[in-house]
Amino acid sequence: MDQILRISYFASLGIHILMIAVAVWRTWRGDNAIDRLIAVELTSTLLLAVLVILAIIERNNIYMDVALGSAAVIFIGTIALTRYIRNEDIF
Amino acid sequence: MQIISQWISLLAILTATFFSISGVIGFLRLPDVYTRLHATGKVGIFGVILLTVAAILQIPGSVGKGLLLIIILFISGPAVAQAIANTAYQMGIPAVVSEHADSHQINHQGLED
Repeated sequence: MDQILRISYFASLGIHILMIAVAVWRTWRGDNAIDRLIAVELTSTLLLAVLVILAIIERNNIYMDVALGSAAVIFIGTIALTRYIRNEDIF
Repeated sequence: MQIISQWISLLAILTATFFSISGVIGFLRLPDVYTRLHATGKVGIFGVILLTVAAILQIPGSVGKGLLLIIILFISGPAVAQAIANTAYQMGIPAVVSEHADSHQINHQGLED
């Protein structure tokens, strides 16, 4: 059972890293600004998933702290980017 | 008890990987900004939250951090999706409407005539 769990953790980690590569490629070649913004948000969400999988694999709590902080920063950053794209001004 | 938590975390991690893969495929293949936004919302809610459930079950002493991460994701996911969709709507990015969207209306008019 431990072996099956470990194999599934590493398979999920590899799949998520591949999907981060796909999302970064889509950020580079997007249709318009909103499409690229959605790709950036998808990249950061998949980064959160990779951090949580690393926390499970290493059995270490510190990765959960990193995921918490980066979730808050990603939220604020995406809202600021949407406001900047909409009216060319953050505040 | 150990076996039950291991099976639940295995099921959670498989379901989360499935939802992440389907979200990214939907983001690549759907025709429109709004539908792509709908597809990527699934990655944020189902993918990361189910992975966090597996992490809570597997790592000792991570219940508080995991629940806080779940609350932050539940708040930030719909807020970010609404902000992006509102910006796209105000910029005038068109939504793709398929040919089959009006099929019932056409049939109804045909029946009335």
